Amino acid sequence: MNKLTIFITLLSISSLGAMAQNNFSPYSQMGIGDLEDGFYNRTSGLSNTGIAYRSNRFLINNNPASFSALTDQYFTVETGIRGSVVNYYGTPVDKAATQSGDITFRKLAMGIKLSKHWGSSIGLVPFSTQNYEFNVPYFLQGSSAEVANQYYQGHGSVNKAYWANSYEFFHHLSIGIDAGYLFGELNQKEILQNPGTGASLTSTTNDIYLNNLYIGYGLQLYGKLGKKWDYSLGATFSNKTDLFASTNRTVLASDSSTLQNQELTQNYLTLPMTYGFGIALTHKQKYTFLADYKHQSWNDVAGKNVYPGKDYTLGNSDKGSFGFEISKKKNFYNSKVELSYFQTGLYYGNSYLQINGQQIKDKGVTVGFGVNSLKSPLAYNIVLQYGIKGTQANNLIEQRYFNITFVVNYGAIWFTKGKKYD
Amino acid sequence: MTGKRAIPVHNQANSQNKQTSMTKNNYLKKERLFLLSSILAFFSLVSCQKQPNIIFGNTYVGDNNGANIVVVDTSTVKMATVFLDSTATAGTGYLQVGQLNDPYFGTITSRAYMQIAPPSGASIGVNDEYDSIGLIMLFKKSNPFYGDSTLAQTIMVNQVDSLYQLGSFQYSWSSKNVLPVDPAPLGKATVLIAPNIPFTSQGIGDTVKIPLDDNMGKKLFTMIYNNSDTISQSAKWMDWFHGLCISSAGVQSTQTGGIYGFDDTAVVMRIYYTKAGVYGTPAYLDFRLTNKSFQFNNIKVDRSGTPLAKLNVPNPPNVPVTPPSTGSDTLAHAGYVQTSTGLNVKLTFPFINSIALRPDYLSVLRAQLTVRPDLNSLNTNWKVPPQLTISYTDLHNGIGASVPGSAGVQNGNLVIDYLNLPNMYYTYDVTTLIKSLITNTDPTALQEGVMLNVPSPNSTNSFARAVLADYSYPVNQKITLSVYYISLYPHN
Repeated sequence: MNKLTIFITLLSISSLGAMAQNNFSPYSQMGIGDLEDGFYNRTSGLSNTGIAYRSNRFLINNNPASFSALTDQYFTVETGIRGSVVNYYGTPVDKAATQSGDITFRKLAMGIKLSKHWGSSIGLVPFSTQNYEFNVPYFLQGSSAEVANQYYQGHGSVNKAYWANSYEFFHHLSIGIDAGYLFGELNQKEILQNPGTGASLTSTTNDIYLNNLYIGYGLQLYGKLGKKWDYSLGATFSNKTDLFASTNRTVLASDSSTLQNQELTQNYLTLPMTYGFGIALTHKQKYTFLADYKHQSWNDVAGKNVYPGKDYTLGNSDKGSFGFEISKKKNFYNSKVELSYFQTGLYYGNSYLQINGQQIKDKGVTVGFGVNSLKSPLAYNIVLQYGIKGTQANNLIEQRYFNITFVVNYGAIWFTKGKKYD
Repeated sequence: MTGKRAIPVHNQANSQNKQTSMTKNNYLKKERLFLLSSILAFFSLVSCQKQPNIIFGNTYVGDNNGANIVVVDTSTVKMATVFLDSTATAGTGYLQVGQLNDPYFGTITSRAYMQIAPPSGASIGVNDEYDSIGLIMLFKKSNPFYGDSTLAQTIMVNQVDSLYQLGSFQYSWSSKNVLPVDPAPLGKATVLIAPNIPFTSQGIGDTVKIPLDDNMGKKLFTMIYNNSDTISQSAKWMDWFHGLCISSAGVQSTQTGGIYGFDDTAVVMRIYYTKAGVYGTPAYLDFRLTNKSFQFNNIKVDRSGTPLAKLNVPNPPNVPVTPPSTGSDTLAHAGYVQTSTGLNVKLTFPFINSIALRPDYLSVLRAQLTVRPDLNSLNTNWKVPPQLTISYTDLHNGIGASVPGSAGVQNGNLVIDYLNLPNMYYTYDVTTLIKSLITNTDPTALQEGVMLNVPSPNSTNSFARAVLADYSYPVNQKITLSVYYISLYPHN
């Protein structure tokens, strides 16, 4: 228990401070940034296909209805780390420097089976991230010849702290609700610099603080199909939600004295209605086939949003994914224990950004391998992902990324009586 | 009973345990291997951290999202010429002699007054013979000169005809002081001086020699021979030989003329004589400058027929405390700087407050003043001063502390290029001044500004002048104040 406490404390401290992404993301300057679509859990190797997935050990936060599947009296903690290397292609990219890499914590979550039918989970997961910087020549207004250097930088993230609960009915139906709280800060800085010395002439920092409740709902219907097949159908839904946005603007002079520090009129950034469907079919408790479809109705809220920037629009986002899993189980002491598993998946989707007449697409494949420790309560999952986001058409940028995700799960049975033997 | 031996349950159990244990051990090894390789993979990614170089995103930045820098170069700069009725021309180190006919500044005549002293301890033998007497002036290469050096001028030497002394309540000599002289010159010579070589048309190198009256020379020779008290006692000498005035006979009105500056240590009145002997040895006696602070240059200016004829000047004997100024609108839309003749240019910025009233104004970043000479007013004869100092001034039209730039005192950074006149202009960093004026709504602030003047020592040694274009000139020729301010459009 002491080791567990230390483990959770260390993870909490490091994960709260390291949710920010370091890789340059050119499209993150638009809208609310790059929306996070990974779950960093058991389904990562399945291209995050898991609306219909249920697990008695792992936290499937793809669908809040899944937590009722946890083993009775089961307590689990999960964390995910992702390493990423990105190669950039396109006209705007300097061929001399086209790559970046980073490692970031992505998730911390805990789950517990509170009663026979009631599973619960709390956690901290990323919602969106922003990381960009670039320089452009800037002609001083009123002059056709004098130039400064304008340096833009943006970084920040919106995270979701959630408490999800799921209740099982009639052994075939589970309903879940995910009460989340979105919070975060996007920092956008513009610095006008002397082009020769690089000294700052003036800088403007816009700190946008975002927060509000964000509720999600989930449903899973599951059962057996004959003797060898198990099925599960899942659905998720979130309604339109206004994110409260308060912006603080600070303008500094060249000597760093404050020229203006103003809280701008508060407004709302509207998140769209989202829904998703999924199906999972398992053969002989070994081979599982999954498929998901997700939709975000940005068209309905595009006009309501006052995101900074111009010359881009928001549009409906759709994503489809497939996954396949092979689970290796063995009988130990008259019970089946999963030793390891192999996963693969592929995905394809449109993001919510439309730029230069192109809707930014994201597609890729994943391969994952997981091991459940026999000596300790830990389970490990490593996922390799390769994807392509964006396009080189119309002076846009294509990002080819390679991710390695490492998920660690701690699971133990709590509230048992009597001596325990190894 | 069978031949086979039954495996004991415990052995069987042990065997099963062993098998399970071995499987577990193998599995644990795989688990550790899996962990280690994952950690290694992560560390290898750490070493890849770097950032790409991408020019993307600038077209999607919103307008007025951040502070901008705006340049305003249309703010009015009012120009006026300030007149000082005299300048301190005593003890400058140079005897300024000559005449200039300047189409902008008028006819400028300069003559030098000086006191000389007889040689001390001089003695002349009974058989030594007087030869001649003359005034010798050396023109060294570094000496000041202004005007057209291709014209010869007649330089005259007159004797001061009154006591050479300061008047009541007069503490020094200035350009407006005049001493009466004997109208009959002691001597004169017409000479052409090439200042850049230097060389004179008299053919004796850099020397100008003016023969003086032999009667006076012989008298001085005799007085030295007799060891007269007049020669040996300074007070008596000054009482008898007051001093010399060296001047130009003038040039024709159609000629440019020139004013030459002779080093005061290189001007001597010399008596040539021959020492008696078998072959006779040439010798001389020098009468050199004495009382340096009493050497002064009188400068007379006639501005009739020039734009400066309308210059506001005080009527003597009334000399106002505040030097009068005359706006450029009155003076052919120009400002006139010739500090040696009492002219400096004052600049004020009467509407600078309007920039601070703009809704997007936050703060002044910097301000630059560009002062351009009238292109028709300068050429290789009429050269502009290489330096014009900028100083604070106010409603009293005085010359205050210099306006500091990043490197200290500012003198205009003039790039001299007489083949490309539009490239010749003075620039000044006036950020500190503009920052103080832009939000100052006090009525007296309207008279606060800067004064442009020729810095010392050229303020007294040089007649170089500049005709400065005011705000009415074409865009690339007029005086310009460029104010760079930080702009941010207000958001509700």
